[in-house]
Amino acid sequence: MKAARSVAAFDSATGMVRALSRFLQGRDIPAIGQLPAAFETPMSGLLGTLNRLPVPVQERVYAFSGWAEAIPQRRAGEVRSAALAEWITGHYPQRRYPVIFVGSANGALVHLAAALDAPWLPQTLLVPVRRHGVAPDDARGDLDASRDAGRALLAANPDLALHHMHDPNQDRLMIAGMTYFRVKWLRLPEAYRRFIRDLLAPGGLLVAVDCTLRWPTTTVDDRYVFQFGALGDATAEEYHQGGPRVAALLARYGAPTRHWDPPAPDGTGPEAEWGLRTDLLDDMAAFARRHRLRLDALRFDSPQRLSPAVADLCRAAYAERGVPTDRLLVESFLLLDPRQALRTGSVPFWTVFGTETCRAGLEKYLDGTEPYDEIRVLLFNHGTESIGLAPAEEWRRTAARARKIGVLTGVDAAEYPRDFAGLVRSHQALGRIRTRWPLPLPLNVDAAVEAFTGREEITWSRVE
Amino acid sequence: MQRMTGEAAGRPMVAWRKAGQGPSVVCVHGAGVSSRELRPLLEALGPRHDAWSVDLPGFGANAGPARPLGLRALADSLADWLTAVGLDQLTAVGLDQAVLLGSSFGCQIAVDLAVRRPERVTALVLVGPTVDPAARGFLRQLLRWAHNAPQERASMAPLNLADYRDAGPRRLVEAFAEALRDRIEDKLPYVPVPTLVVRGARDRLVPQEWAEEVTRLLPAGRLAVVAESGHMVPYRQPHALAALVTDFLTCLTGDQATAAGRPQAQGPAR
Repeated sequence: MKAARSVAAFDSATGMVRALSRFLQGRDIPAIGQLPAAFETPMSGLLGTLNRLPVPVQERVYAFSGWAEAIPQRRAGEVRSAALAEWITGHYPQRRYPVIFVGSANGALVHLAAALDAPWLPQTLLVPVRRHGVAPDDARGDLDASRDAGRALLAANPDLALHHMHDPNQDRLMIAGMTYFRVKWLRLPEAYRRFIRDLLAPGGLLVAVDCTLRWPTTTVDDRYVFQFGALGDATAEEYHQGGPRVAALLARYGAPTRHWDPPAPDGTGPEAEWGLRTDLLDDMAAFARRHRLRLDALRFDSPQRLSPAVADLCRAAYAERGVPTDRLLVESFLLLDPRQALRTGSVPFWTVFGTETCRAGLEKYLDGTEPYDEIRVLLFNHGTESIGLAPAEEWRRTAARARKIGVLTGVDAAEYPRDFAGLVRSHQALGRIRTRWPLPLPLNVDAAVEAFTGREEITWSRVE
Repeated sequence: MQRMTGEAAGRPMVAWRKAGQGPSVVCVHGAGVSSRELRPLLEALGPRHDAWSVDLPGFGANAGPARPLGLRALADSLADWLTAVGLDQLTAVGLDQAVLLGSSFGCQIAVDLAVRRPERVTALVLVGPTVDPAARGFLRQLLRWAHNAPQERASMAPLNLADYRDAGPRRLVEAFAEALRDRIEDKLPYVPVPTLVVRGARDRLVPQEWAEEVTRLLPAGRLAVVAESGHMVPYRQPHALAALVTDFLTCLTGDQATAAGRPQAQGPAR
């Protein structure tokens, strides 16, 4: 089965590979890289029309878009890890790189990599698999219906682990007709090895991106775990034990139950979407020793932890170039664009989702830094009124901390979080910002390492 | 609402006033029109503020000279009128001079006045500032204007027609030509007073990026976007706009009160 067909286009890993690889090709990212720029305006209009439909219809369209991307269950055994890895490396221009990142997906990392002229190879990819007749709140049903497909996928791919994920909070529309198989490489796939051997510049640096976030899991098989819930505003306890916020969500969506009944967890594992399985890190260390490469690890305990450090690094780099440092671009999940950020002289601050926790993280960053004149906030629309989602108005209030311009960019506040056109509109709006700057030369990696040393929330250290 | 007649450069100038306690806010209308469109705003502003709306010479209730006045002359008339009605005196609330609120072309007049006669103005509110340099030209402005029209209230059309009739074709054309000739972007960096920029979220004449550029160019600017409004925010959303003005002036008087205790606080509040 073709790799491009089996992975999800709407996922963090693929979206970020697309964003970074397009940057390294000197291109920006209209409509999160899904469309040629020429289609942007008609698509924006078309999606804008969707906004006017009744909410249940919008939700069906959203769910259908996920289903359409998923592969049939019977074909799960046709997914090939080698093809997936080659598909990833095939995104990047074939030229020498001073640094290569491998590991956890992270939006702030995309900016760091872009600034260093470095590619990033993800450990985790999302393979969405169709399944029918299971309600979003029925986690046991989801596992029962998809277990065989998971086993078939693993049998065909001994170098993969499967983190079967089910999140009826944030993905409730998407999981109506499919299930989330997140596959993680246990070893560096051959395509990654070849990419590093051929394209890492002599004396270059290999960096493992290690998000240590963990989540309760249920062991299904060797290399196969089931994860109920995922990083967001709801806690692992809320997912497993329930609570008022869970009951309210279920009531809001007219579910017959007021709490979930997932398979009991028997341990914890790396978070399916963001966490790194350290098997890969061990294999990278062996690979680095064999090829006499320097291997570093960039480590943090939750995805958004990297954002303040990268924002500070970019702000310092702007100051050094004589570009004003008074503009902040708050990005959201897949809505990120290193080229637009650099062109507009915007300091990037990536937020994982539009949740209250992520907004609080941004507020904390703003508390501790010099004020910004301009703050633009992008908001990714995931279609669901999930637990702890901060309303657009709350995000606008945070943006209003700017001294001059504090706005939501490309967001229809009245439609959020079901503003489909926002995916296209935010790129268009960023493209219209008038003051622009030439793209800078790549940053020196030692300067970046130095800037990250001594920070509490992250470590950048050599792997022996 | 009182009708008041002041005098500027030997000519009578008509203005409307909704007297109130707060700082004086003088509303300046756009090209070819008059204070008619600003009256809903005047109602909303008063009596929280001493609200004024003035007809520039040649527009609305003012006959004006036979030859249309240019932008600079219009600004000078406004300055003279401020003196004539005593709005350049100290007021009890701590804001000396008036706050100028421009609508559309009125922003260009207010900015011109603030740059050349800074002692006359304590703060500015620019509502839908024209003209976006990216579309400077009769045809492009006309297209934008047509694109914006569906966003406005239908009840504004007869007011516009009455204004155009009062101004006459020659003044009308000349006012638009002046608006296009004036390069507001060159003056904005020299505006010495705190300025609130307001844009209707659906304004097709003043796109978001231009409103942002205006705010960026101002040394002490701040942008506010009003939902559910096209270009004519004062007519479409007078209460939302009045609330923004009040917030802005409250901040300002607060800043100035604080600044009064500081010996060297001269510049605009940032």
